[in-house]
Order: sequence, then structure tokens, then C-alpha cells
Amino acid sequence: MNRQADADELNIEMELLLAGGKAAMGGKWHALTKIAAELREFPNPEFKIRLKAELLEEYPITAARQASFEQVTGAVVFAEILPSLGGNNFRIFPADHRSFMVSFISHTLLIVLIASGIWVGRGTALKSTPTPSDLTYLPSAGGGGGSGDHSQIPATKGTSPKMSNQQLAPATIVVRRSDPLLPVQPTVVGPPDVKLPQSDHIGDMISSNVVIPSNGSGDGGGAGSGSGTGLGSGTGLGYGPGSDIGAGGGVFTIGRGITAPKAIYDPEPEYSEEARRIKQQGIVTLSVIVDQQGRARDIHVARSLGMGLDEKAVDAVRMWKFSPGMKDGIPVAVRVNIEVSFRLY
Amino acid sequence: MKTVEREGDNRLQVRAGENEPLAFAELYEQNFDRIYAFIVRRVGSQDHAQDLTAEVFHQALASIGTFRWREAPFSSWLYGIAANVLAGHWQKLGRNPAQIEEDWDKGASEEIERRAILAELVESLMPDQRMVIVRRFIEQRTIREVATELGRSEGAIKQLQLRALENLREKMGRKI
Repeated sequence: MNRQADADELNIEMELLLAGGKAAMGGKWHALTKIAAELREFPNPEFKIRLKAELLEEYPITAARQASFEQVTGAVVFAEILPSLGGNNFRIFPADHRSFMVSFISHTLLIVLIASGIWVGRGTALKSTPTPSDLTYLPSAGGGGGSGDHSQIPATKGTSPKMSNQQLAPATIVVRRSDPLLPVQPTVVGPPDVKLPQSDHIGDMISSNVVIPSNGSGDGGGAGSGSGTGLGSGTGLGYGPGSDIGAGGGVFTIGRGITAPKAIYDPEPEYSEEARRIKQQGIVTLSVIVDQQGRARDIHVARSLGMGLDEKAVDAVRMWKFSPGMKDGIPVAVRVNIEVSFRLY
Repeated sequence: MKTVEREGDNRLQVRAGENEPLAFAELYEQNFDRIYAFIVRRVGSQDHAQDLTAEVFHQALASIGTFRWREAPFSSWLYGIAANVLAGHWQKLGRNPAQIEEDWDKGASEEIERRAILAELVESLMPDQRMVIVRRFIEQRTIREVATELGRSEGAIKQLQLRALENLREKMGRKI
């Protein structure tokens, strides 16, 4: 009997099985029918992927809650000391200790809040100081920095100082010390080749104060209402309302302290009908920005395959979820090339 | 029967799963098939099994910080949650949850292991064979529907079905 006859015969058994029959005992196709019967109860592969995505979506909230719980209460120690309340392991029907946990956490958080207020009152502050790297900048994005010296008057209107890879002097409008041993031009941190509007008057471009010299209401030593040594309403060493460095939301490339994003949810792309018809195979290369939230954006086709596969690759990667690239332990937007492979077997 | 339980589900990995999404995703991948098999064997319906499996992993994520390592593997903790979820399911249906513990016999664990192996083997099939298996048996589509979707003849799909099942039988024979 040839293969096609075998395939037809087996298919008759499969039709009976799928129509609700039991796997036939004995006979030529018994082993295959038994496997098929088990396969009938398998979960849909899309369900497995979707559930994983749901869990990863949920993860940051859950993990953050658990992390703060452990930091604040020392939950590990707690569970070891009071296993009947804090432990939950290996029992088929564990005791419900949620009420106790909620009460314990809320009281502990209250104590921590009070304690942190006392601590802040002492004036202790810890700021990260990101350093510039091989950045490119998107003109449409936010980002930047700001500061001030607790003045009641908003920062004086003006323009940003030049951008520099390193900030030797903060972007200050009113310089308190007038006889520095080594005069240094104020700068904000960002790529030197980015040109911002310049004038003789350093200041905040969107400020309403055009008369009175002031560094603004922020803190950190620069100018503006934010914090840090930059200029503007943001935080950090750059310029504008955002945070960190630059003046337009930095997008990094991998290397020099920038780690690559990793795909944690990467469903395969669909094949386009036209590509399948002519058996088109190959790789579509996409240039993608993976943002701080681990989402792909600003997707461009760097190497095309055509026949609708470019669009399928873009659609797939748009759904992907990444753990973002990191710089100094902080998530950053990173531009990467992603190769999407299309193969027919 | 040889076991394919991965020893990677160790203390460090579980610890990492509390703080690192990638590590948790790995724990999910390692345990999904067994937990699903454990549940579907008892409820017998794909839809119910999927709902209950989802509940197990959501609960596991919510309480992974409370997991304490006491010699037993992480999967035992997950089975505990699964049994709890099933008990709730039986209670809603007015059935006796104690039946679950009675049902926990050696034969059951072997069957769970066999299904977990089979799930891995389906993943290892050639893409067109895997597609036929998924469409034909898991989604229960007809030969004609699968043939239309894949742009192949019905005869070709029947042959792919035969080859895929033969491959699974052969690989199962090597694993078990």
C-alpha cells in the first residue's frame, strides 16, 4: 500500500476520533490514534502565548509590590518566623492569610512614610548623574533637565547654553561666585552636534520672567523649576521638561555601557499569501527603537523582502515585548536592528 | 518512563523569578505543559482547562514572593496552587474537592509527564507538520479547511498529518 493510501486510511480513523469517538484499541493505527486523542486536549498555542504576555504585562506591578513589601517588612524573614501566617508552601489548601498581610503591610507602609518624612526633612538627597554616550536624538521626543536655587521668582527667559558631552559648569543664570579660579562656560549635557537656539542670555525659553535675573524655583544648581543641574522644568542635566540628559529624549545605540534590549514576547510573523504562493523566503531587517517600556516604536524597514512580508514583519514586531536596554541600571530607549526570518519548509 | 523534568527550576531561578520578568517567563515555559496536563486530565475540557491554568499562573505570579525553598521543586508549589484552583472549581460545580487528592496517583503523574513530553515534541516538529497538528487536532479543523489555509491539496495535508503523527510516535518512543 502506498503512502497516499496510508494517509487516507489514517485520516478515516482521525475523522472518527474528531467526531467524538474514542481512540481505537489495537489495529494498525492504534499508536497514532492514541497520540491524536491526547493532542485533542492540548491548549491552543495562542492561549499559551497570550497568557505569557498577560503575566508579563502584570509582572511589573506585582514585582514592584513584592519588592517594596520585602524591602519594607523583610517578608522572607517574616515568613520563616511565622510560617503559619507568612508561608504558603506545599499545602494543597493553604490558610488564607491575606487579611493579616494587608494589615501588616499597610501599618508598615504608614511607619515607613512617617520615617521617610523625617529623613527627607534632614535634607538628604541622592541623585543619579547619567553620563553622555553615543546618542542620537529624535527631534520630536521629550527629555531634558532643569534646576534652580529655590528663588520665589521664575527663571529668567532666555536660551539654553550649548550642549556638551560633559557638564563642567551648571546652566546657571545668576552666578553667585563671580571670581572663579578657572572660568568655565555653562553647558547642558547632550550631543554637541545638536543645535539649540542660542543667544547672549542663558535662560528658560518658556519663562514669563523677562526682567528679573533669577535661577528659578527648582533645586540643584542650574536654572528652572525642576531639579538637577540642567535647565528647565525637568530633572537632570539636559534642557527642557523631560528628565535626564539631552533636549529631545535620548535614543541610544548598543555598546559603551548601553545593554541591548531582549525580546521576552516575540510571536512569529504570519506569512503573506502572495509570498507563500511564490515560496518567497528570507530575512526582513527592521530598524526599531525599543523604548523604556519595552515597546517597539519608530519601526523602519532596513532590508526588504517584499511580497507583503515587510508589512507582516512590522506587524509582528509591533506586538513584541522587550525588557528594555539599560544604562547605569536605568531603562533607556535604544535603536536596534531586528532580523525577522521567513522560511517555508 | 524517563523523566524530562528540568533541574533548571532551582532555587536561584525561582529567586530570580521574583525580581526578573525573564526568569519568571522561563519558569512559566518550564511548567506550563505539566500544569495544563494536570488540570485538563481532571476537567476534560480544553476551555475549562485553559481558564483554570491561567488562574494558576496568575495566582503564582501574585504570590511568588511567598515561595520558600524547602527541598521540593517549584513545580510542587504550582501543583499545590493548581489543586487549590481545582478545588474551587469543583466546589462551584457542587462536587467534592477531596476527590482531587485521591486522584493524585502514580498513573496520573506518568500521564502528565507523557503529555508534557508530547507538547515539547510538537514544538520540535517541522513548521508545516506542526501547523497541521495544531489546526487538525487542537483546533479540530477539517482537512479541507487546513488545505485551504495552507494553499495545499487535501492529499498533501493528509500526508503531512501521517508524517507528523509518525514523527511524534517515533520521538516519543525514544523519550519514554
